[in-house]
Amino acid sequence: MSEIRILIVDDSSVMRKIVERSLRQAGLEIMKVHEAGSGTEGLDVLKVSQVDLILSDINMPSMDGLEFLRQLRAQNLAAGVPVVMITTESSEEHVKQAILAGAQGYIRKPFTAEQVKERVLPLVCAA
Amino acid sequence: MAVSLRESVQLVSDPRNLDASIEEIFQLMLGVNCERTSEPLAKEPESVTAVVGFGGLLSGACVFSCGSSAAMKIAAHMTGMDFDEVDDTVKDGIGEICNMLAGAWKGKVPDLAANCGLSVPAVITGRDYNLRVQAPEFQLKHAYRFEDAGFAVTIVCDGLQ
Repeated sequence: MSEIRILIVDDSSVMRKIVERSLRQAGLEIMKVHEAGSGTEGLDVLKVSQVDLILSDINMPSMDGLEFLRQLRAQNLAAGVPVVMITTESSEEHVKQAILAGAQGYIRKPFTAEQVKERVLPLVCAA
Repeated sequence: MAVSLRESVQLVSDPRNLDASIEEIFQLMLGVNCERTSEPLAKEPESVTAVVGFGGLLSGACVFSCGSSAAMKIAAHMTGMDFDEVDDTVKDGIGEICNMLAGAWKGKVPDLAANCGLSVPAVITGRDYNLRVQAPEFQLKHAYRFEDAGFAVTIVCDGLQ
Protein backbone atom coordinates (compact mmCIF):
# COMPACT_ATOMS: atom_id res chain seq x y z
CA MET A 1 0.00 0.00 0.00
CA SER A 2 1.37 3.44 -0.91
CA GLU A 3 1.83 6.17 1.65
CA ILE A 4 -1.23 8.28 2.27
CA ARG A 5 -2.07 11.75 3.55
CA ILE A 6 -4.83 12.02 6.12
CA LEU A 7 -6.90 14.72 7.80
CA ILE A 8 -8.18 14.06 11.32
CA VAL A 9 -10.89 16.46 12.52
CA ASP A 10 -11.66 16.27 16.24
CA ASP A 11 -11.86 18.91 18.95
CA SER A 12 -9.87 16.61 21.26
CA SER A 13 -6.13 16.63 20.58
CA VAL A 14 -5.82 13.39 22.57
CA MET A 15 -8.39 11.69 20.35
CA ARG A 16 -6.60 12.91 17.21
CA LYS A 17 -3.43 11.21 18.47
CA ILE A 18 -5.33 8.01 19.33
CA VAL A 19 -6.90 7.92 15.87
CA GLU A 20 -3.51 8.41 14.22
CA ARG A 21 -1.99 5.66 16.38
CA SER A 22 -4.85 3.30 15.51
CA LEU A 23 -4.38 3.95 11.79
CA ARG A 24 -0.69 3.13 12.07
CA GLN A 25 -1.52 -0.02 14.05
CA ALA A 26 -3.97 -0.92 11.28
CA GLY A 27 -1.04 -0.99 8.88
CA LEU A 28 -1.54 2.30 7.07
CA GLU A 29 1.67 3.92 5.89
CA ILE A 30 1.00 7.55 6.70
CA MET A 31 3.09 10.16 4.92
CA LYS A 32 1.42 13.25 6.36
CA VAL A 33 -1.14 13.89 9.11
CA HIS A 34 -3.13 17.11 9.06
CA GLU A 35 -5.08 17.90 12.23
CA ALA A 36 -8.07 20.18 12.72
CA GLY A 37 -10.00 21.02 15.89
CA SER A 38 -13.31 21.79 14.19
CA GLY A 39 -15.11 21.51 10.88
CA THR A 40 -14.16 25.10 10.08
CA GLU A 41 -10.47 24.32 10.56
CA GLY A 42 -10.89 21.13 8.53
CA LEU A 43 -12.25 23.10 5.57
CA ASP A 44 -9.34 25.53 5.84
CA VAL A 45 -6.87 22.63 5.68
CA LEU A 46 -8.55 21.18 2.60
CA LYS A 47 -8.41 24.52 0.77
CA VAL A 48 -4.60 24.34 0.75
CA SER A 49 -3.76 20.63 1.14
CA GLN A 50 -4.48 17.41 -0.71
CA VAL A 51 -5.44 14.38 1.39
CA ASP A 52 -6.32 10.75 0.66
CA LEU A 53 -8.52 10.06 3.69
CA ILE A 54 -10.60 12.16 6.12
CA LEU A 55 -11.65 11.04 9.60
CA SER A 56 -14.00 13.33 11.48
CA ASP A 57 -15.73 13.53 14.82
CA ILE A 58 -19.38 14.69 14.79
CA ASN A 59 -19.87 16.50 18.09
CA MET A 60 -17.58 19.54 17.88
CA PRO A 61 -17.90 23.25 18.67
CA SER A 62 -17.82 25.90 15.95
CA MET A 63 -18.83 23.55 13.11
CA ASP A 64 -19.87 19.97 13.79
CA GLY A 65 -18.88 16.98 11.69
CA LEU A 66 -22.13 16.71 9.75
CA GLU A 67 -22.03 20.36 8.71
CA PHE A 68 -18.34 19.89 7.84
CA LEU A 69 -19.36 17.06 5.49
CA ARG A 70 -22.11 19.14 3.90
CA GLN A 71 -19.77 22.09 3.38
CA LEU A 72 -17.14 19.76 1.95
CA ARG A 73 -19.55 18.65 -0.74
CA ALA A 74 -21.05 22.13 -1.28
CA GLN A 75 -17.62 23.66 -1.79
CA ASN A 76 -16.46 20.70 -3.87
CA LEU A 77 -13.45 20.14 -1.64
CA ALA A 78 -11.70 16.74 -1.43
CA ALA A 79 -13.87 15.27 -4.19
CA GLY A 80 -13.64 11.49 -4.22
CA VAL A 81 -11.77 11.36 -0.90
CA PRO A 82 -13.35 8.85 1.52
CA VAL A 83 -14.68 10.27 4.79
CA VAL A 84 -15.09 8.17 7.93
CA MET A 85 -16.95 9.55 10.94
CA ILE A 86 -15.54 8.60 14.36
CA THR A 87 -17.96 9.56 17.08
CA THR A 88 -19.67 8.74 20.36
CA GLU A 89 -23.07 9.12 18.66
CA SER A 90 -24.11 5.62 17.70
CA SER A 91 -27.81 5.56 16.90
CA GLU A 92 -29.07 4.44 13.50
CA GLU A 93 -30.35 7.98 12.96
CA HIS A 94 -26.87 9.44 13.41
CA VAL A 95 -25.36 6.87 11.03
CA LYS A 96 -28.09 7.64 8.49
CA GLN A 97 -27.45 11.38 8.76
CA ALA A 98 -23.72 10.85 8.28
CA ILE A 99 -24.21 8.65 5.22
CA LEU A 100 -26.72 11.12 3.73
CA ALA A 101 -24.21 13.92 4.30
CA GLY A 102 -21.62 11.94 2.32
CA ALA A 103 -19.68 9.76 4.79
CA GLN A 104 -18.48 6.38 3.54
CA GLY A 105 -17.79 4.86 6.95
CA TYR A 106 -18.72 5.16 10.61
CA ILE A 107 -16.77 4.12 13.70
CA ARG A 108 -18.17 4.43 17.20
CA LYS A 109 -16.00 5.59 20.10
CA PRO A 110 -14.61 3.75 21.98
CA PHE A 111 -13.00 1.71 19.24
CA THR A 112 -10.23 -0.82 18.72
CA ALA A 113 -7.43 -0.68 16.16
CA GLU A 114 -9.02 -3.77 14.61
CA GLN A 115 -12.30 -1.91 14.05
CA VAL A 116 -10.40 0.96 12.45
CA LYS A 117 -8.64 -1.51 10.18
CA GLU A 118 -11.91 -3.19 9.14
CA ARG A 119 -13.69 0.07 8.33
CA VAL A 120 -10.87 2.18 6.90
CA LEU A 121 -8.60 -0.13 4.91
CA PRO A 122 -11.20 -1.15 2.30
CA LEU A 123 -11.95 2.52 1.61
CA VAL A 124 -8.29 3.43 1.24
CA CYS A 125 -7.58 0.44 -0.98
CA ALA A 126 -10.59 1.24 -3.19
CA ALA A 127 -9.76 4.95 -3.56
CA MET B 1 -45.78 8.40 17.21
CA ALA B 2 -44.07 10.49 19.86
CA VAL B 3 -41.26 8.71 21.65
CA SER B 4 -41.26 8.83 25.45
CA LEU B 5 -38.76 7.57 27.98
CA ARG B 6 -41.15 8.04 30.87
CA GLU B 7 -42.27 4.41 30.78
CA SER B 8 -38.75 3.03 30.48
CA VAL B 9 -37.23 4.99 33.36
CA GLN B 10 -36.14 1.75 35.06
CA LEU B 11 -34.20 0.75 31.96
CA VAL B 12 -32.66 4.21 31.62
CA SER B 13 -31.62 4.31 35.28
CA ASP B 14 -30.31 0.73 35.40
CA PRO B 15 -26.96 1.02 37.24
CA ARG B 16 -25.52 -1.89 35.22
CA ASN B 17 -25.49 0.31 32.11
CA LEU B 18 -23.02 2.66 33.78
CA ASP B 19 -20.75 -0.19 34.93
CA ALA B 20 -20.79 -1.74 31.44
CA SER B 21 -19.95 1.61 29.83
CA ILE B 22 -16.99 2.14 32.17
CA GLU B 23 -15.71 -1.37 31.51
CA GLU B 24 -15.98 -0.92 27.73
CA ILE B 25 -14.21 2.43 27.62
CA PHE B 26 -11.38 1.62 29.99
CA GLN B 27 -10.67 -1.74 28.36
CA LEU B 28 -10.79 -0.45 24.78
CA MET B 29 -9.18 2.97 25.15
CA LEU B 30 -6.83 2.47 28.10
CA GLY B 31 -6.30 -1.29 28.12
CA VAL B 32 -7.08 -1.57 31.83
CA ASN B 33 -9.78 -3.24 33.90
CA CYS B 34 -11.75 -1.19 36.40
CA GLU B 35 -13.57 -2.44 39.43
CA ARG B 36 -16.39 -0.73 41.21
CA THR B 37 -15.55 0.24 44.76
CA SER B 38 -17.45 1.44 47.78
CA GLU B 39 -14.38 3.09 49.25
CA PRO B 40 -14.38 6.89 49.10
CA LEU B 41 -11.87 8.50 46.75
CA ALA B 42 -8.64 9.59 48.39
CA LYS B 43 -8.65 13.35 48.89
CA GLU B 44 -6.12 15.14 46.72
CA PRO B 45 -5.28 18.84 46.78
CA GLU B 46 -6.17 19.24 43.11
CA SER B 47 -9.03 17.54 41.31
CA VAL B 48 -10.37 17.35 37.76
CA THR B 49 -14.05 17.22 36.85
CA ALA B 50 -15.46 16.82 33.34
CA VAL B 51 -19.11 17.44 32.50
CA VAL B 52 -21.02 16.46 29.37
CA GLY B 53 -24.62 17.62 29.19
CA PHE B 54 -27.58 15.62 27.89
CA GLY B 55 -30.39 17.30 25.97
CA GLY B 56 -33.53 16.07 24.27
CA LEU B 57 -35.77 13.39 25.76
CA LEU B 58 -33.47 13.29 28.76
CA SER B 59 -31.86 16.38 30.21
CA GLY B 60 -29.05 16.15 32.71
CA ALA B 61 -25.34 15.49 32.71
CA CYS B 62 -22.57 12.93 32.93
CA VAL B 63 -19.95 14.02 35.47
CA PHE B 64 -16.51 12.38 35.72
CA SER B 65 -14.38 13.33 38.76
CA CYS B 66 -10.94 12.28 39.93
CA GLY B 67 -7.84 13.56 41.67
CA SER B 68 -4.92 14.96 39.71
CA SER B 69 -2.85 11.77 40.03
CA ALA B 70 -5.65 9.63 38.58
CA ALA B 71 -6.22 12.18 35.80
CA MET B 72 -2.54 12.05 34.83
CA LYS B 73 -2.57 8.25 34.93
CA ILE B 74 -5.67 8.06 32.70
CA ALA B 75 -4.16 10.51 30.21
CA ALA B 76 -0.89 8.53 30.24
CA HIS B 77 -2.72 5.33 29.33
CA MET B 78 -4.61 7.14 26.56
CA THR B 79 -1.62 8.83 24.96
CA GLY B 80 1.43 6.77 25.92
CA MET B 81 2.98 9.95 27.38
CA ASP B 82 4.02 10.74 30.95
CA PHE B 83 2.61 13.73 32.79
CA ASP B 84 3.79 15.52 35.93
CA GLU B 85 1.06 18.15 35.97
CA VAL B 86 -2.57 18.52 34.89
CA ASP B 87 -1.86 20.27 31.62
CA ASP B 88 -4.16 20.86 28.63
CA THR B 89 -3.56 17.34 27.28
CA VAL B 90 -4.63 15.76 30.58
CA LYS B 91 -7.74 17.96 30.71
CA ASP B 92 -8.51 17.11 27.10
CA GLY B 93 -8.15 13.40 27.82
CA ILE B 94 -10.48 13.51 30.84
CA GLY B 95 -13.01 15.48 28.81
CA GLU B 96 -12.88 12.86 26.07
CA ILE B 97 -13.32 10.01 28.57
CA CYS B 98 -16.43 11.76 29.89
CA ASN B 99 -17.68 12.31 26.33
CA MET B 100 -17.24 8.63 25.41
CA LEU B 101 -18.82 7.58 28.68
CA ALA B 102 -21.88 9.78 28.11
CA GLY B 103 -22.21 8.39 24.57
CA ALA B 104 -21.75 4.77 25.63
CA TRP B 105 -24.20 5.15 28.52
CA LYS B 106 -27.00 6.63 26.42
CA GLY B 107 -26.24 4.10 23.67
CA LYS B 108 -27.38 1.29 26.01
CA VAL B 109 -31.01 2.39 25.57
CA PRO B 110 -31.98 2.69 21.87
CA ASP B 111 -34.64 5.39 22.35
CA LEU B 112 -32.18 7.39 24.41
CA ALA B 113 -29.39 6.97 21.84
CA ALA B 114 -31.62 8.30 19.09
CA ASN B 115 -33.33 11.12 20.96
CA CYS B 116 -30.75 12.56 23.32
CA GLY B 117 -27.91 14.84 22.26
CA LEU B 118 -24.57 15.47 23.95
CA SER B 119 -22.85 18.76 24.67
CA VAL B 120 -19.12 19.16 24.14
CA PRO B 121 -17.22 18.42 27.36
CA ALA B 122 -16.43 21.11 29.92
CA VAL B 123 -13.49 20.44 32.24
CA ILE B 124 -13.00 22.06 35.64
CA THR B 125 -9.76 21.84 37.60
CA GLY B 126 -8.74 23.30 40.90
CA ARG B 127 -8.85 23.02 44.66
CA ASP B 128 -11.64 23.20 47.18
CA TYR B 129 -14.59 23.31 44.85
CA ASN B 130 -17.93 21.57 45.01
CA LEU B 131 -20.18 20.75 42.12
CA ARG B 132 -23.86 20.72 42.99
CA VAL B 133 -26.35 19.44 40.49
CA GLN B 134 -30.07 18.91 40.79
CA ALA B 135 -31.43 15.52 39.80
CA PRO B 136 -35.17 15.43 40.42
CA GLU B 137 -35.64 12.30 38.30
CA PHE B 138 -32.73 10.07 39.28
CA GLN B 139 -29.03 10.06 39.98
CA LEU B 140 -26.43 7.31 39.66
CA LYS B 141 -23.14 7.80 41.46
CA HIS B 142 -20.50 5.08 41.23
CA ALA B 143 -16.87 5.00 42.27
CA TYR B 144 -14.30 2.86 40.44
CA ARG B 145 -10.69 1.90 40.84
CA PHE B 146 -7.98 0.76 38.45
CA GLU B 147 -4.41 0.07 39.52
CA ASP B 148 -3.99 2.55 42.41
CA ALA B 149 -6.17 5.25 40.91
CA GLY B 150 -9.78 6.05 41.71
CA PHE B 151 -12.49 8.09 40.05
CA ALA B 152 -16.21 8.73 40.37
CA VAL B 153 -18.91 8.97 37.74
CA THR B 154 -22.30 10.56 38.27
CA ILE B 155 -25.23 10.48 35.89
CA VAL B 156 -27.78 13.10 36.83
CA CYS B 157 -31.18 13.30 35.24
CA ASP B 158 -33.17 16.45 35.89
CA GLY B 159 -35.80 15.91 33.24
CA LEU B 160 -37.29 12.99 31.36
CA GLN B 161 -39.93 13.17 28.63
